[in-house]
Amino acid sequence: MAVTRQIRVVVSKVGLDGHDRGAKIIARGFRDAGMEVIYTGLRRGSDELAETVLQEDADVLGLSILSGAVVPLTAKVVEALRERGMSDVVVLVGGIISAEVAARLREMGVDGAFGPGTSIAEIVDFTRQRVAQRRGEVCRAG
Amino acid sequence: MASTQQRSTGYDEWLVAHAGDLAQQWRERYATSSGFEVKPVFTPEDLEERGWSYDRDLGLPGEEPWTRGFVPGGYRQQLWKLEMYAGFGSAEDANRRYRYLIEHGSTGGVSMALDLPTQIGLDSDDPAARDEVGQMGVALASLADVERVFDGIPLDRVHHIFTTANCIGPIAAAWFIALSEKQGIPTDAFVVQIQNDPIKEYIARGTQFLPIEASVRLATDMLQYVAERAPTWLPISVSGSHMKQAGSTVVEEAAFTICNGIAYVEACLAKGMRIDQFGACIELHFCTEMDFFEEIAKYRAVRKVWTRLVRERFGGTTARAQHFRLHAATSGRPLTAQQPLNNISRITLQILAQILGGCEQTRTASFDEALGIPTELAARTSIRANQIIAHETGVPYTVDPLGGSYYVESLTKDFESEIWRIIERVDELGGAVEATRLGWFQERIADGAYRVQTALESGEEIVVGVNAYQVDEETPVPVFELDETAIARQVERVKQVRAQRDSARVQAALARLREVCGTQANVMPAVLECVEAYATTGEIAKVWRDVFGTYSSETVRY
Repeated sequence: MAVTRQIRVVVSKVGLDGHDRGAKIIARGFRDAGMEVIYTGLRRGSDELAETVLQEDADVLGLSILSGAVVPLTAKVVEALRERGMSDVVVLVGGIISAEVAARLREMGVDGAFGPGTSIAEIVDFTRQRVAQRRGEVCRAG
Repeated sequence: MASTQQRSTGYDEWLVAHAGDLAQQWRERYATSSGFEVKPVFTPEDLEERGWSYDRDLGLPGEEPWTRGFVPGGYRQQLWKLEMYAGFGSAEDANRRYRYLIEHGSTGGVSMALDLPTQIGLDSDDPAARDEVGQMGVALASLADVERVFDGIPLDRVHHIFTTANCIGPIAAAWFIALSEKQGIPTDAFVVQIQNDPIKEYIARGTQFLPIEASVRLATDMLQYVAERAPTWLPISVSGSHMKQAGSTVVEEAAFTICNGIAYVEACLAKGMRIDQFGACIELHFCTEMDFFEEIAKYRAVRKVWTRLVRERFGGTTARAQHFRLHAATSGRPLTAQQPLNNISRITLQILAQILGGCEQTRTASFDEALGIPTELAARTSIRANQIIAHETGVPYTVDPLGGSYYVESLTKDFESEIWRIIERVDELGGAVEATRLGWFQERIADGAYRVQTALESGEEIVVGVNAYQVDEETPVPVFELDETAIARQVERVKQVRAQRDSARVQAALARLREVCGTQANVMPAVLECVEAYATTGEIAKVWRDVFGTYSSETVRY
């Protein structure tokens, strides 16, 4: 019988913004949903973060960004993951995200973009589905 | 003795007689957001139970125990100073917004939001700053930027300037001392109010870049220098609002702030300062969220607790030393992105709570803050909400109108007791700096935030428009858009400043700062010399980083 590996999530604050209420809430939310969570703390650079995701063998990277720099900061992280051949990592972004910004994030390869008022349950469900999908695709490809 | 005998109000009999009606509740439990039980009605018995006395606990405005405020005539004498926190893009953008706000009735002068790079000690042209220049505040890379922000805004005419410089507090103080000299206006002709509260950055706000001891030293060096050179200024605003917005309860917000305040005062006393000399320079700052009566009780209780600390713990002997500026801001945290116009009601209730709590200076958020930087319309609407309360409701006509309310007095007493209990706990941990290093505050704040979120998701708590009363289609409101070309101009200008200044003078000033940082001497004269030579924020902060080391965030496994 196949044993499903526990979902591993890296939650991080990139850029200079220090508001980590959302990051800490979602970290606990993932934990209470049975996932393994690594919260990197503040001000992580994109390369440093991609290395962490690689070393932790994470399925999911959750970015929390409340400054106005969501798009450029996320782009750098997505690029750093791509450079390391980790485009299969599920990337989630939470913060002050308008519909227009959410669309731009998805265009650059972000899986889920979540604005104010999103519930933990919604993010957890989304994450489970995406990870299952990604693992399935990897299996089929393999 | 007959006078102390408990007078029966008939409360117990009333509970029995109306048990049927009282059992009909739409909530399982009625409690404040901090967890204090709320009874169906409060009576004199509740005050007696708490040992409340009119003389000891209430008294009159402008007199001990200061519950009813520091100003005898309250808002009859002087309406609250209304401050609109703003700032984005370049110095010119910020200048235009400040003029707009003042023109429309912001009586609290200029309240400057700084961008993140500035707050963290990085210049606008630093590669690590690039994406965030001007995004959440105005970029101030050197005195040249500050001069441009105040172009056509004479310091004595705005009278009041506030800014959220924390870990760069000494640099901000130096900017305004230098600017007052350039404009030829004496420092007592206006008030500069600088947040300069680094401890809560490590706890909740996140702009720390040095080890905590170094930040506390810099903050208190600045406080000491300003208390002597510009004694009418407010060189520290010990702030609870960020801790609450990060998840603390209302009573924890009050207590944690006071604990941090104790840490700064004790650091100053250790420098040989006396509380009678600098007590009046201290301000306590909180934010007002949605639990209406808790917020009112908080402001009343904080006045009692802090002034008693000044008298009994710090040896303050004058009324002036006990008096602190009570500064309150409406909170952006309860404002929702869903149905954003609903936020006007939330903001109005928050303003009303802080006015009923007797705050002297208030800052008001705008209804579109969950969507971005406020538009002019949203900011003006918030100014109007204050003016409506001031001029249309009669609320300011009498001082502390809720004084004597059985409920409000009971809650004020409960707040007071709980604040003292938390102070005692933090003392046991070794004080606020040590408690921060241990992560004690942070843990409680994260617990609180998670508790609120899960209560929201289970439907135990309702936030209108978020988990109840939603609409299928949102009515769009205008959203502010930043002029991105301003950012490029700002970056260019920093380079120009570097090219045009007297480089030898800058290097000499930075070298002197480096030397002073390694001693016990006050850093402020050296920081001022750097600022006057147009050394940049990043250059000064780099000296600090070199001498004191850098802060780095820890990775946590859940």
